[in-house]
Amino acid sequence: MKHAMRGVCGAAGAMLLLAAVATDAGAQRGRRFPGGDFGMGALGDPNSFYTPPDFRGNPPYDGRFTFARIKYRGFGHWSGREGPGWSHDYPDADVHLTKIIREITTMRPFTNLGDIIGGAIVALDDPALAKYPVAYLSEPGAWYPNPDEAAGLRKFLLKGGFVIVDDFNGFGDWPTFEAAIQKVVPELQPIPLKGTEAIFDSFFKVDIRGIGQSNGDLGGFGGRGGRGGFRGGGGGPPYGFYGIFEKNDPTKRLMMLVCYGRDIGEAWQWSGSGFVPVDESNEAFKLGVNFIIYALTH
Amino acid sequence: MLSGLFEFLFKYRLAVFEEGEFTLGAPLPLILIVGGAIVLAVPAMTTYFRVRGKSSARDRVVLTAIRVALLTVVVGCLFRPMLLLSEAVPRRNFVGVLLDDSRSMRIADRGDRARADFVRDTLGESSALLARLRERFQVRLFKFGTSSARADSAGGLTFEDRETRLVDAVEAARQDLDAVPLSGLVVVSDGADNALTEVNDALLNLRARGVPVFTVGVGAERFQRDIEVQRVEVARQVLLGGTLVADVIVRQRGFDGDTVPLVVEDEGRIVASATVRMPAGTEAAPVRVTVRMTEPGPRVLAFRIPLQDREQVVENNAQRSLVTVRDNVERVLYVEGEPRYEVRFIRAAVEADSNVQVVLLQRTAEGKFLRLGVSTGDELVAGFPKTRAELYRYRGIILGSIEASFFSHDQLTMLSDFVSVRGGGLLLLGGRRSFSEGGYAGTPLADAMPVVVEGAAIADSLTFFSDLVASITPAGLGHAVTQIGTARVSTADRWPQMPPVTSVNRIRRVKPGAVVLLNGRMPQGGRAGEPGETLSGYEQPIVAYQRFGRGLVVAMPVQDDWQWKMHADIPVEDLTFDTFWRQMLRWITSDVPGRVSTRATPDQVNPRSSVQLRSVVLDSAYLRVNDAKVSAIVTAPSGAQQTLALDWAVDEDGEYRGSFVPSEEGVYRVSTKADMAYGAVGDETFIRSAPLDAEYTLAEMRRPLMQRIADETGGRFYTPETVGTLPEDIAMTKRGVTVINQMDLWDMPVIFLLLVGLASSEWVYRKVRGLA
Repeated sequence: MKHAMRGVCGAAGAMLLLAAVATDAGAQRGRRFPGGDFGMGALGDPNSFYTPPDFRGNPPYDGRFTFARIKYRGFGHWSGREGPGWSHDYPDADVHLTKIIREITTMRPFTNLGDIIGGAIVALDDPALAKYPVAYLSEPGAWYPNPDEAAGLRKFLLKGGFVIVDDFNGFGDWPTFEAAIQKVVPELQPIPLKGTEAIFDSFFKVDIRGIGQSNGDLGGFGGRGGRGGFRGGGGGPPYGFYGIFEKNDPTKRLMMLVCYGRDIGEAWQWSGSGFVPVDESNEAFKLGVNFIIYALTH
Repeated sequence: MLSGLFEFLFKYRLAVFEEGEFTLGAPLPLILIVGGAIVLAVPAMTTYFRVRGKSSARDRVVLTAIRVALLTVVVGCLFRPMLLLSEAVPRRNFVGVLLDDSRSMRIADRGDRARADFVRDTLGESSALLARLRERFQVRLFKFGTSSARADSAGGLTFEDRETRLVDAVEAARQDLDAVPLSGLVVVSDGADNALTEVNDALLNLRARGVPVFTVGVGAERFQRDIEVQRVEVARQVLLGGTLVADVIVRQRGFDGDTVPLVVEDEGRIVASATVRMPAGTEAAPVRVTVRMTEPGPRVLAFRIPLQDREQVVENNAQRSLVTVRDNVERVLYVEGEPRYEVRFIRAAVEADSNVQVVLLQRTAEGKFLRLGVSTGDELVAGFPKTRAELYRYRGIILGSIEASFFSHDQLTMLSDFVSVRGGGLLLLGGRRSFSEGGYAGTPLADAMPVVVEGAAIADSLTFFSDLVASITPAGLGHAVTQIGTARVSTADRWPQMPPVTSVNRIRRVKPGAVVLLNGRMPQGGRAGEPGETLSGYEQPIVAYQRFGRGLVVAMPVQDDWQWKMHADIPVEDLTFDTFWRQMLRWITSDVPGRVSTRATPDQVNPRSSVQLRSVVLDSAYLRVNDAKVSAIVTAPSGAQQTLALDWAVDEDGEYRGSFVPSEEGVYRVSTKADMAYGAVGDETFIRSAPLDAEYTLAEMRRPLMQRIADETGGRFYTPETVGTLPEDIAMTKRGVTVINQMDLWDMPVIFLLLVGLASSEWVYRKVRGLA
């Protein structure tokens, strides 16, 4: 299904790049779709939610671990059939990761029920978010939480929720993300992780020092293998893994894992397709499994 | 008045008839008297039946019967009925008079007069009763309270003693007078015995030696108006930061329907309070109060009801309890079969608790484990413990969603023994691999569970699901683990407001010996049942427990109680979930015995009263050890130390005993150490030495005890109103040097009245029937 998309993504890269820059600039002025969002304003009400074509509703709650993808309002970082940024890689990334988890761990996560596949999609101001204490946020570069969403996420995090943030780069995404985080937990800041933290050794022992140097999607958006020229650009810090800790203390609870300049979900999505090297997929799944195991045990 | 009438009619007191032996002292042979009676009766009867006149047959029968009865009484008197009574020879025998010298005798419940006044007035040197006793006996006075001793006179009593060892005093007096002819012992007391001596044993001894005890009960059997904190039941020890639940019994007289406050003080600081409503028509009101213990070490908690208007006794409004608040780190092993949210939230809830450490053995894949919270690098490195010594290091164990087949049969047996032998706490959480669904039916652990598990394991259990809303049971209302009330909402109201949880473990039955603290019920609009099945009104326990051997097993068959924290309705600052889990882990580790456990009896004493120490010593497998060298270092409040050797009690395996007498006021620390072949272990306990107010507990005159002592030893019970006959009664006890008195009965006024009555009735009958 995604094979064609891969090509489309590659061809339309420059256009999306421009669109992203414009979107970010608009956001700086408090608007989500400046100048008609290059025509994307026609996609719908910027205060409404996009519904992915493969989405068949959330699975009924049964207490099992269910991969929860956070959705936010608007259509920023639009990418053809994948929709806005938050839904990129859905549902394949979600399906593949939960299947891997089911295969190699003792967890029995939700994988599918009839047409419902992958997991759940929840908004930050949806009370149902409380049923999924571990959630995944893709492409926060187009995330402009309103007060209700900010309050919902703040409550979620302070009560014990854990969020994995993935798939954003240096083209103004970091300032957008930082601004959003300031609305949610203004007292906290992302702190760079060294790679020695328990989250990188909760199931697989992963050496993150190698990830940014040699891997494609894992390495960053600057080009395959992470050797492009945009690493850490756009006003953001160097690409890498960041954590938001309770009381800004790395010895306390990790509330949010930030994969900046990484697109781990992309590697989950394309695993087995041939578009992503096996090693890269392996590393992505290792990280994904580690993140989930860590979140459930710490 | 009745006794006076009896004595008028029958010439003697009832006691004489009870003690005397009936006999006939006829001066002539019985045959002559009977023959004479027949000689007189036959002509009379013949006359009645032959001379008929106007009389009917019935008249003749009646008149004959009256006449025969008259003759029978007369003839009976000719037999000279009498009582043979052994009486003490005057002043040849001894009587011990024991006077209660305790503080409770100061209570003024005889009008305006104190109980002590009765003792001074009635048994003082110038009293008539004492004079009459001395006419008949050699009287020896004793005073008793904490101990007993000879007394010169009642005037020398101070009524200062803080204990009444009544039974001990009686036995001591008996031994004191063992070498002299003893007619009996007299005990003058309110019956407030608070000795540790078993009453039954003492009474058996007295009865065997034939010493009658005459008891004089002083004081009101029922106060007019009084409130008493009668009893406080609390755990002897609690973990720092834990919740202590105290059951307080408040006794009342004259406060029916009233409401009074109860406060709990820790070293003068109010730490809890409750309102006690005195139920109308009931003497005792139970009240349960919870106290969070935030200060480590021995704490003296005072449970006090402020003095109420017109109370008769002011000293019985408070009780004190000694509670040891342990500042230990209790280690709980949490074995989880699959990574799941429960682990995350339980660990977070108790993370900040410095007194509970959760050691997690998380199975993340088959044969792969994540260890968190371990103390050493090799702890649990081989997975779940394979030896008892390794397992018994923990005080509590949590089994999460992990199937029975994960464990070997030996490991399941060890888990069962962990509870029953080691005395540990085991918590079983719900999950797809727990309880029946986890295949625990028929395993050694099934017996330990408070719920019935049945059927085979269900692979990747997806068969049953239920939404549950919690409600607290009456048992849960009084339990420390389920206390989540706030200043505004009570625990009972709070639980139904908590977000629903879910279960994948179908619980059909709770074991008969189990206690359900939290019950779950399917909410309106909720789901319950297996696929294709819809159950209505489904209920199952959320928290249930049972004692199993020396330990405790708790079942919590729900899978997502973390909803009590994460649910959107729960505010960020709400700590109910954290509190619940801290209380839960404290509960399952609270009463877990160590390798050495020392108990002091009593743990609160008056200074210079003896304290018994009892230590139970176990080896690493928690088997009793008889060859240990056990000693106790007793540290007084001043810091002075003494070392006691505790000796093995031959009648009890693994038990070592000793005793000491505290002389100072304050809290004594007793550090026990047991040296065994493979190392030493120890324990610490505390004793409070202080003037106690036990004298004022149940301070009404205890007639049942006094009456029982008298009845079972052949004595009598008296009140101040009936004590006048005491000297004569003692004289009839047949004890000591006695002489037999013959006491005629034929001249009793009642005989004369009977004769007159019978003669008169014949005359009246004739007049009425026109036969005169």
